[in-house]
Amino acid sequence: MRPNDRKYLKSHEWCKIDGDVATLGITDFAVSQLSDLVFLDLPNKGSSVSADTSFGSIESVKAVSDIYSPVSGEVIEVNKALPDNLDWLSTDPFGQAWMLKVKVTGKSAGLMDAAAYEQNCADGH
Amino acid sequence: MAFDEALLHGGSGPVLRFYGWLPHAVSLGRFQRDADFSDVAMHTPVVRRATGGGAIHHAHELTYALVVDAGALPADLADSYAVVHDAFVAALEHHGVRCHRKRDGKQAGARPIERWCFAEPGAGDLVDDAGRKLLGSAQRRIRLPRERVLQHGSLVLRPAPHTPFTAAVCHQADPDAILGPLQESIATGLARALGLAIQPCTDPAETGIELP
Repeated sequence: MRPNDRKYLKSHEWCKIDGDVATLGITDFAVSQLSDLVFLDLPNKGSSVSADTSFGSIESVKAVSDIYSPVSGEVIEVNKALPDNLDWLSTDPFGQAWMLKVKVTGKSAGLMDAAAYEQNCADGH
Repeated sequence: MAFDEALLHGGSGPVLRFYGWLPHAVSLGRFQRDADFSDVAMHTPVVRRATGGGAIHHAHELTYALVVDAGALPADLADSYAVVHDAFVAALEHHGVRCHRKRDGKQAGARPIERWCFAEPGAGDLVDDAGRKLLGSAQRRIRLPRERVLQHGSLVLRPAPHTPFTAAVCHQADPDAILGPLQESIATGLARALGLAIQPCTDPAETGIELP
């Protein structure tokens, strides 16, 4: 069971919301589909992200995949160490491998709790 | 290539495109640095791809772009390349060009040590009997609004000035003579492999996608 203290998108990103700040990352399921990660592109602090819209991309061997934001708002912190430590995405996707902290102004209508996300993965999405 | 990306984000049905380049140009992989190609940019137009990998000098080549829902391709990444590349192998063989899918070696990543895509064939690439790279491909995947895949690649017809070390169709056949029939053979084989029907389309407007 994935952590139930956060919400999930069907595109396999998670967000943990504390007050008006959301911490974003991608799930272990996403990582398992992206073997041999080689590059991660994240936005800069101060930039804006929009719910259900790509905010970055991740390169695995021979494929570039978009990463989508579960929330809208301003990026207030970026995990700058992550692009140089991509193994964290495999070892601790829900902790050390967080990507952004966003001051939230809106949320995706497609956010799921952990149980619904588990079912989404079980259905092969 | 911008049109390929537009098809990925805005298209509906599966599309296979073939095209060439005029003027000839160099495309950089998504994560390559412009500064590493300042010498090239002095005399050759440089564009950036949505996909990773090394730079390609698009001169005398057949470029293809396949845009499909992710479910149309095998889920395994290597298998998804293989089904497309095997269609190219069969079509090329039919028109007198021998090549095979490289089985060993590492797969190329987004930050290639070699700056040119064709300098070091990786697993899955098409190579000639001498081991020189003839065709390479790359993928971009999106998940929203639904899972879609753009796979595009370059088949070398004649070696390009910046990458004279490649294999090329011209080493085994006359590209001008086989180019039309070759495209038909590739499309037919790929449609069969993916269980799709072919509907010829020569006008991009028929796709409903506007050029960026």
